[in-house]
Amino acid sequence: MSLTSTEHVDTGPADGPDAGTTPPGTAASPSSRLKGLAERNALLALLLAVIAFFAIYPESSDTFFTSSNASVLLGNQSVVALLALAVILPLVTGYFDFSLGAIAATSSVLTAGLMSFSDLSLGLAIAVGIGVGAGIGAINGVLVTRFGLNSFVTTLGMATLLGGLIQWYTGGQTILAGIDPALPRFGSATWLGLPRVVFVVLLATVALWYLLSQTPFGRSLYAIGSNPRSARLVGVRVDRSVWTTFVLAGALAGVTGVLQLARAGSATADNGTSLLFPALAAAFLGATAVVPGFFNAVGTIIGVLFVSVAVSGLTLSGASAWASPVFNGAALLVAVGLSHYLGRHRGVGTG
Amino acid sequence: MSTTARPPTTDVVLRITGMTKRFGATLALDGADLALRHGTVHALIGGNGCGKSTTIKVLAGVHRADAGRIEMAGSAWSAAEYDARAGRAAGLRFVHQDLGLFPELSIAENFALDAGYPRGLAGRVSWTALHRRVAGLLDNYEIGASPATPVAALRPAQRTLVAIARALQDQESDRHLVLVLDEPTATLPQHESRLLLDAVRRRADAGQTVLMVSHRMPEVLSVSDDFTVFRDGRTVASLVAARPTEAELVAHMTGSADAARAVVRPQPASGPAADAGRGDVVLDVAGLAGGPLRGVDLQVRRGEIVGLTGLVGSGRTSLLKTVFGEHAPAGGNVRIASDRPAGDAAASVPARIAGGVAYVPEDRGGEAAFADLTVRDNLSATVVGRYWRPWGMAVRRERADAGALIRSHAIKASSTEVPFAALSGGNQQKAVLARWLRREPALLLLDEPTQGVDVMSRADIYRIVRETAERGCAVLVASSDQLELCGLCDRVLVLRDGRVAAELSGAALTADRLTALTQSTETTAGPVPAPGDR
Ligand SMILES: Nc1ncnc2c1ncn2[C@@H]1O[C@H](COP(=O)(O)OP(=O)(O)OP(=O)(O)O)[C@@H](O)[C@H]1O
Ligand SMILES: [Mg+2]
Repeated sequence: MSLTSTEHVDTGPADGPDAGTTPPGTAASPSSRLKGLAERNALLALLLAVIAFFAIYPESSDTFFTSSNASVLLGNQSVVALLALAVILPLVTGYFDFSLGAIAATSSVLTAGLMSFSDLSLGLAIAVGIGVGAGIGAINGVLVTRFGLNSFVTTLGMATLLGGLIQWYTGGQTILAGIDPALPRFGSATWLGLPRVVFVVLLATVALWYLLSQTPFGRSLYAIGSNPRSARLVGVRVDRSVWTTFVLAGALAGVTGVLQLARAGSATADNGTSLLFPALAAAFLGATAVVPGFFNAVGTIIGVLFVSVAVSGLTLSGASAWASPVFNGAALLVAVGLSHYLGRHRGVGTG
Repeated sequence: MSTTARPPTTDVVLRITGMTKRFGATLALDGADLALRHGTVHALIGGNGCGKSTTIKVLAGVHRADAGRIEMAGSAWSAAEYDARAGRAAGLRFVHQDLGLFPELSIAENFALDAGYPRGLAGRVSWTALHRRVAGLLDNYEIGASPATPVAALRPAQRTLVAIARALQDQESDRHLVLVLDEPTATLPQHESRLLLDAVRRRADAGQTVLMVSHRMPEVLSVSDDFTVFRDGRTVASLVAARPTEAELVAHMTGSADAARAVVRPQPASGPAADAGRGDVVLDVAGLAGGPLRGVDLQVRRGEIVGLTGLVGSGRTSLLKTVFGEHAPAGGNVRIASDRPAGDAAASVPARIAGGVAYVPEDRGGEAAFADLTVRDNLSATVVGRYWRPWGMAVRRERADAGALIRSHAIKASSTEVPFAALSGGNQQKAVLARWLRREPALLLLDEPTQGVDVMSRADIYRIVRETAERGCAVLVASSDQLELCGLCDRVLVLRDGRVAAELSGAALTADRLTALTQSTETTAGPVPAPGDR
C-alpha cells in the first residue's frame, strides 16, 4: 500500500473484515478453502493444544485444570484482554497508540484518588476515570490527525507524560484507603462460577466485534487501514474516523483502569507498561487468527488466552518469574512475523 | 503472417517454454511460450488477465512458476530453479509501472541509490565522478536534463526514460541486457508516450532487446518487431518480424475475427446522446481557480458526455478533483444540480457523493484500490450503508450483488472473496468503474477511464458510459487518448494554461484537430508539470 505517513501498521493483505464469519466465495477451490480454514483456526488449535499439554503434563496437571486456576487466570487476564481490545481500534486504521497502558494506569489511580483524597462517590469517580481516558484519547487523535504528527512518537510522549503525572498525583504511594468497598467486591465476585469481570470483557468483545465487522463504520476503518487515500475518495471521513478510534480506545483503556482497581483493590503508582506489552502481543497474535491478516476482536481474545494459558502453565510447572516476559516477547515476535508471512503469502498465493 | 514461425535459435536471447502458473483456482499461465530475438522490441499482448504480468513477475522472480523452462544467455533453468538472482545475472532488467524513482532526489542520486555512490579519497562520495557518469548516460538516452535536476521536475516520458537508463546503467558495450517494461505508457499522454517509444525504438536499433506489455494497439504496432499474443495463459500467436494490422492482433486476442472488427475503433457517438437537445445543466463551473486552474468555465448537461484534454500540467485532474470536493477551489464556484439532496452545503467529498457525483481517479493503485481487502469490499466501498441492518451486515446479499457486478462488467475474478490485488490491472480498473456505476450517479467524473484495459473491454466501457449517459447522467471524462475522446464524447474541451482554450464538437471533433489543438499549446505551456498533477 502506498501511504502518506510512514507510521502505518502493515499486517499484510488478506481476507475481508468479516470473512471469518462467512465461508469463502463459491468459486474458491476446495484446497484453498481448506487452507483458509486451517489458517483462521490455527491459533485456536494451538490454544487448545497448550491447554491439553498442561492438563496432562505431570508437573502442572493437578493444579492446572482446576476451576480455581481457571477462575484466577481469567480474572487476572481480563485486564489485559480489555486493554488489548482497546489497542486494536487504532491499529485497524493503521495507527499505534502506545499511551493506552498509561491511560489505564491514569484512570485507575484517578478513580482511586478521587474517592480517597477527594471523597467523591464511586459512580462519579468511575465516570471521571473513564472520561479522562476518552479525553486523553481525543488529544492523541487531534495531534495525529489534525496536526499529522507521527502516532508512534506522539503516543509514546503521551505515555511518558502520563507516567510522570501519576507519580506526581500519588506521590509514588499506593492508594489503599478510602476506596469504596463495593468496587473490590465487584472485582472478586463471581457469577456462574466465573469472575464477574470476565463478563465485562465478554461484553466489550461482542461490542467491538459488532462495531468492527458488522457496521459500515467498521468497514470504513478497515478501508482506511488498507489505503487512506482511496478511503477518502469513496467518501470516508478519514480524519474523523481515526480520531474516533483514538477516543474509543482511550475510553476503553479508562474502563480497563477501573477494572484493574476493582481486581486489585488498590492503585499503584505504575505507568502501565507492564499491561501494554502483553496487550500488544495479544493484538498482533490475534491478527493471525479468525480473520488472518487483520486485527479483529475475537482473534485478540484468543491471543490473550493463548499467552496467559501458556504462561500460567509454565509457572505452575515451576518456571521462574522471567518466563512470562520472555514468553510475551517471543509471542509478539512470532505474531508479527507470522502476520507478515500470511500477508505475503495471501497476496501472492491462494485465491 | 499469423503462423507460429520459430525464430532462428541463434539470435534468441530469452526463451520461455511451457510456463505454467496457478493461483488457487486460477490458472494464470497454461504452458505459455515466448522467445525474444536480440535487438528487437517484442510486444507481449493479450486481453486483461491473460497472464502477461504474471509472466513478467515470474521472470523478475516475484512468483515461482509451477512448470516450464527458461533459457537465457546460454543457460537454462527449470521453473523450480529459477529465481530473481538468476534473472539478474543473466541480464534481465525491469522497469515497473510505478518506476520506483524518488521524485524529490536528483537524477544523479536516483542512479546512485541503485548502483552505489562512487567513492573518492577517504571514502567520500565523489559527486563529480557521479555527475560525469550520469551526464554521459543522460546524453546517451537523449534525456535533455542535467544530473542535478530533481526527478519531480521532469516530464513523464523523461521520468520513464530515467528509470530505463537507471535499470540499464550497468550495461557494457559487449554485453547486452534485456529490458522488460510492463505497460510503460499506460498513464502517459499520447505525445509523451510517442517520445518514450521513439527513444525505445532507437535503443533497439542500437542493439537493445526490449520486452514490452501494452494495451495501446497503435503504439504497439508502430514500435514492435515481434509480437506474442496470449489468450487465457497460452501463447496463441507469435509473429516474427511481422507487420500485422490491429484487427489481426485483436482477432488473435479474442479468438474471433468478427469480434475483432467490432472493437477496433470506438463508434462515434450517435443517437439521442449526440444531438444537441439535451437536458438541464447538471454541472456548472464558473471561474474556477486553484492549483494549475486559472478560471475554468464549463457546463455539462444531463445525458451529455464532455471530454477534457490538454497537456500534462494543464489541470485536468485538478479540475475533476475540485469538482469532486477533494481540492478546495481558490476562487470561482462549482454548482451541481441533482435531484439528490447533498449532505451539507460545504463541498466535501462525502457531500458530493451524497449529491450523486462519482469519480474514477487516474491513479488506480494510490487512490482507488484497497489492495488487501476483498473484491467484494472494493466493489461495495461506495455503498456499504445499503447493507447495514441493526443485526449486522447483509454479507450474503452483498456477495450476491458483487457477483452480479463481476458478471455484468466482465471482470475476471475467481471469486468475490479474493484480495483485490489478485486481479489483473485491467480487471481492477473495471471493478473501480463498476463500484461507481452501481450508484447510478447524476454526474460521472472519469479520469483516464480505460487505462490498462484491453481493446475488447474498452469497447464495453464505452458502451456502458454511453448507456449511463442515455439514462440521464452527465459525464465529464478526462483522457489523453484523442481517439477515445472523439469516439466517446459529444464535445471535447481543450485545457490550456488552466483555462478552457478550445471546444470541439460535431464534425469538427476529429483526432487530428484535437492533436493539433493540444500540440499547439506546447509552445505556450511551460515544460515542467507539477509533480503528480496534470
Ligand atoms: N497474486 C495473485 N493471486 C491470485 N490470482 C492472481 C494473482 N495474480 C494474478 N492472478 C490472476 O492471474 C491471471 C493473470 O493475471 P495477470 O496479472 O498476469 O494478467 P495480465 O495479462 O497482466 O492482465 P492485464 O492486462 O489486465 O494487466 C488473472 O486471472 C489474475 O486474476
Ligand atoms: Mg498486467
